[in-house]
Amino acid sequence: MEDDKQNANPTILNPSDLPSRHREAVAKKREDGGTGLFDDLIPAYNYLNDPFEQSYSSSDSDDGSVEDIDEQEIYDLISSISDPEHPLSLGSLAVVNLPDIFIQPPQSPHSSISTVLVEITPTITHCSLATVIGLGVRVRLEQALPPRFRIDVRIKKGTHSTDEAVNKQLGDKERVAAALENGTLMGVIRKMLVTCE
Amino acid sequence: MSTDIQQYLLDFDKNRKEATATAQRSATRLQNNDLKLLRLIEELGEFFNSEDGTTRSRAMSYLAEVLSSVPQKVLSLQQRNLLCDFVLSRIEDSEGLGFCAKALSALEERGKWDQDRVVAILEAFLTHTHPLRQYKQQSERYPVLHLIDTLIAKYRDALRVHHDETPDFLSRFILYFDGEKDPRNLMVVFSILKVPMTEWQIGADAQQLFDAVFNYFPITFRPPPDDPYGITAQDLKNRLRDCISSTADFAPYAFPSLLDKLDSTSMNTKRDVLQTITAAVTEYGPRTVSLYSITLWDALKFEILNVQEEDLAEEALVGLAAIARTLSQGTSGPLNAYLRPIIKECNEHLEDAPTKQSQASARILNKIADVSADVTNTLLAGILPNLFLLFQTAETMAKKRGLLEVLVQLISANIDVYGDWRSIGGAGEQPPPNALAQFREQALEIMLTGLENAPIKEVSFRLVCLDGLLQLSKTRQLLTDEDIGRIIQLFHTIIIQEEAYGKDEVKDAATNGLVEIAHQKPQVVIDKAFPAFLAKLPDFDNGQDASYIQVLEAFAKLAGEEKVFDTVILRLKNKFSAAVAQGASSAYIVALLSAMLYALNRGSSKLEESPETSPYYQDIVLPLLERTASPDVSHPKAFDKDKTLDLVGRICGIIIRSQSVEQQNQTSKELYTLFRGTPQNELPPFSKTLTIEQSRTMIVSTHLLASFRREAALPCEVDLLISSLVDFSQQPNLSGPVRSASLRQISLLINKYITTPGLKTCMDPLIDSPVDLFNIEKLDASRIRITFACLKALVLRNSTALSKLYPRLLSFLSHPTYGSMVAHGFTTLLQPDDLLTKANYCQISGLHKQKTFALLVPSITQAFKDATPDTKPNYLIALSGILRWMPFEIVVEEVAQLVLPLLQSLDLKGEDLVKEAAIATLTSILKERPNTLEQHTGSLINRLLDNSTISGKRIGATPTTPPRVRAAALRGLESLPTQFRVDIVLPYRRQVVKKLTAALDDSKREVRYAAVKCRNAWLLVDEVGDDD
Repeated sequence: MEDDKQNANPTILNPSDLPSRHREAVAKKREDGGTGLFDDLIPAYNYLNDPFEQSYSSSDSDDGSVEDIDEQEIYDLISSISDPEHPLSLGSLAVVNLPDIFIQPPQSPHSSISTVLVEITPTITHCSLATVIGLGVRVRLEQALPPRFRIDVRIKKGTHSTDEAVNKQLGDKERVAAALENGTLMGVIRKMLVTCE
Repeated sequence: MSTDIQQYLLDFDKNRKEATATAQRSATRLQNNDLKLLRLIEELGEFFNSEDGTTRSRAMSYLAEVLSSVPQKVLSLQQRNLLCDFVLSRIEDSEGLGFCAKALSALEERGKWDQDRVVAILEAFLTHTHPLRQYKQQSERYPVLHLIDTLIAKYRDALRVHHDETPDFLSRFILYFDGEKDPRNLMVVFSILKVPMTEWQIGADAQQLFDAVFNYFPITFRPPPDDPYGITAQDLKNRLRDCISSTADFAPYAFPSLLDKLDSTSMNTKRDVLQTITAAVTEYGPRTVSLYSITLWDALKFEILNVQEEDLAEEALVGLAAIARTLSQGTSGPLNAYLRPIIKECNEHLEDAPTKQSQASARILNKIADVSADVTNTLLAGILPNLFLLFQTAETMAKKRGLLEVLVQLISANIDVYGDWRSIGGAGEQPPPNALAQFREQALEIMLTGLENAPIKEVSFRLVCLDGLLQLSKTRQLLTDEDIGRIIQLFHTIIIQEEAYGKDEVKDAATNGLVEIAHQKPQVVIDKAFPAFLAKLPDFDNGQDASYIQVLEAFAKLAGEEKVFDTVILRLKNKFSAAVAQGASSAYIVALLSAMLYALNRGSSKLEESPETSPYYQDIVLPLLERTASPDVSHPKAFDKDKTLDLVGRICGIIIRSQSVEQQNQTSKELYTLFRGTPQNELPPFSKTLTIEQSRTMIVSTHLLASFRREAALPCEVDLLISSLVDFSQQPNLSGPVRSASLRQISLLINKYITTPGLKTCMDPLIDSPVDLFNIEKLDASRIRITFACLKALVLRNSTALSKLYPRLLSFLSHPTYGSMVAHGFTTLLQPDDLLTKANYCQISGLHKQKTFALLVPSITQAFKDATPDTKPNYLIALSGILRWMPFEIVVEEVAQLVLPLLQSLDLKGEDLVKEAAIATLTSILKERPNTLEQHTGSLINRLLDNSTISGKRIGATPTTPPRVRAAALRGLESLPTQFRVDIVLPYRRQVVKKLTAALDDSKREVRYAAVKCRNAWLLVDEVGDDD
């Protein structure tokens, strides 16, 4: 089995170095710069909260603000996909990277269509599984994004010996649809998506 | 009269028990001399000469049963010898072999044999019944194996001598068992063969003996579902492994065969191989293992470098370490020969770190270095020079990180061997010199520099440096206090000065690291880090700069280490006094109090150790109480806030709680006066002409009351106190928190200070005249609050009064004005509470939830059915208030009655907490009792979908569904497809998947996240169907 692997010894990123949403959010949230260590000192259900008044209000964090779907969210959706060769995530293998995800807002005020472009970086330039990985990313996004998004998955330029050919395959709607009818291929993709959260 | 034997043969088929009884009777007659042995044999003779094999066999069965029933010492040596010869003469007969063996076993139990007889018996079996497999019945072979097992266990010398004197004996002996397949018999065969393996000179027969057991490898036996014998595959595996690892003579055959099987595609086989290799290298001894160590390394390393299954890698690591451990018992030559290729290979993998294989190398080194001081030193000498060289020339941070990961693993193995500052390691009290000492400066420098100078965004690199420094500082007698001081300094600099970045993993790790070092070297931390922390905490602040918060957080965390706990508390207390004296901002004072409370919570076990001698009552409690109550300058402005007083109360409570009754009585008589010298009746709750400021001290009093033991003296009669509190809490101008505090005092008093017989005299005046809480004419908001405060106290102590009180309370749910408020009160009954706890000496029955559930839920569901439409919501609200806190094991009893009310709760408008609780309960039911929901599938799916979007399908309906409910609905919907059968779910799949696209576009991330997971679960539905 081992010998069949195209890249038996890939480089692995440490989870701490992967991009995550907390980065900017935390510092902004707490003006005092603390971690909120003392917030739990007073239990949530303490006698100072009057249950009779609390339950009349809707008691929720619904402040009406809108959290848009952004690049990080796309990254979170696809970085946990497993590599078909290794029990490792596409994020830790740097196959998908936050800077290679682009969201284009609707082109005109009349349109609601946004486009997501994801450029993937195969671990080695001759990786024949690049198409499968691309398909996996595509399937995942089609399942997880609302229909107002157009999805475009490509191999990052210069990272693959036949990137143009692969991109052609990934961009061809009919070929993608045909590929997804293929039971074996779908089996592989389903296995890749099992680790998604 | 028929003889016993005739009777026995008659009964044998029809009634085995009766037959056995007959044999026992014969035994008794033998014992009483009613029957002569000779006569018995004579009687048998006729049957042994029968033409019919079955009869001959049963005659032997009779004899065996008689013999095993005869008490010890009835048969003389001569008789036993005669019997023995007689039985032996029968084994040539092809019938009844098992019974012969049983008879012999019975004889053996009745008197030890001499050596010649043992040999003769064994030889007789080998000569006449070889090979044993010709007997088809397991029940025939088993007694023979059992007999041989007894012989070989009890007459070891005799048989070993026989083996030494008889050249072909062992070979015949081994072949005798050839082809055994029954697991029960195999257990015995393995046990028999293990004796020659471990105790005899097996010489040329080694291979044959090895093959005899290895033929069964790997064991693939799977016991039948209701196996009465209880032999598992693991039992067989363990015995087989013991055999294979029993003698070093097997090594030339075992290792090649095992390694051959390591190529198997079956994970179970590989697991078995790896465990057997570990057992073998552990038992074979250094001389033998040295011959195979490198071959084994070459094979085992692949399991770690290319992990197939994590547990196989772990087994392989254990195997590699076992080799090193065995070799450590021998001379240094073979050990070094083994370690050399490992060092070489690991060094090669370090070249292109960080990769899967460099990580694997780190694991290998860590595991092997753990073995002994010699091994760890050899590895350090072999790896570290190269590692440091590579580090110097490394071009990327990632590579440096990969290299340091290996270093950290080696240091942590070093701690296992050499110990840390507080405990000695595996190498004992006087280990050989630690090779890490030669590298400590270098290691210290690169990691100090790395942590200090690397850009702040290199999180993982800095984390590795930090971890490495922490490990270095822990290693026993490695660094000087001065060097540890440098590490401490760097850590606290990161905590104090570094700007926040990302998830602040480095800062967190530095704080936790400091706590760990404080455990090892408390004084160095106090000397180095404490002044730095305190310098960052101002005595006075202008209320603008809140940078002290993160310093306080880190400092408070240090209190978790008992060696520095007292110092942390002392410094915080001094800081607090200074801040109050300087008139610091309220925010700062609150932060200091929070830190103090956090630290006390962390070290609460330390407080409980010696409450008698603890200085904290004098130093902290009394000054705080005085500040609280005093009207002069010592009373900081911050103390005019409810939240601050709550903190003060909690700090005092945690200290007073562990005091003795005598000590507590000093405070309890000042419960309301708080040492201010004013007469008690001029203060709350006894006086009602008070300003908001004056009544605020009730918050602190509540915590004091909570912390007292039940034996502590109250400042006045408890009944008077309760009625004063009841009056006090009804004043219209009370602030919310003070009212809640007064109500909680009522709960505490009724729970802690009223005896069970006294409950009635206490409760009656409250429920009925004069207070009249349950008079429906007098219902109002403050009385409803008092009612629930009283009930809460009773619920926790599981009072019998509840069965009378609950029905009256439930009748209020139909009240047109106050029904809704009463309904909302139900959630308070079981809601977790931070004051009414066992730690606060409250009476808390383990069964109180069950009781309340049994008394309330069936009544509510019944009353709900009969209620008018406009009061129905009240019942649903009350129900959810109960269910919200109920463990599902209790809910499950009434699931069938609950489903309909719960589903209807999802249609309520504006009752979001109720909906959330209902969804939570429905989700639990889905997980534990899906069949009760199956018939409601459609209505459940629709209601969950309705609640998964902001306004459901009723467009324009207000108020909207909040995000938490939306997410909860989606999570509930997510578990549905896996809980119901495919044919039930499948018809809904299209509709659900389509409607969920709306939730995918929710405005809140949390909801979208739940929607994606939910939709995925539904997308998988028909795929599951395809597989079937």
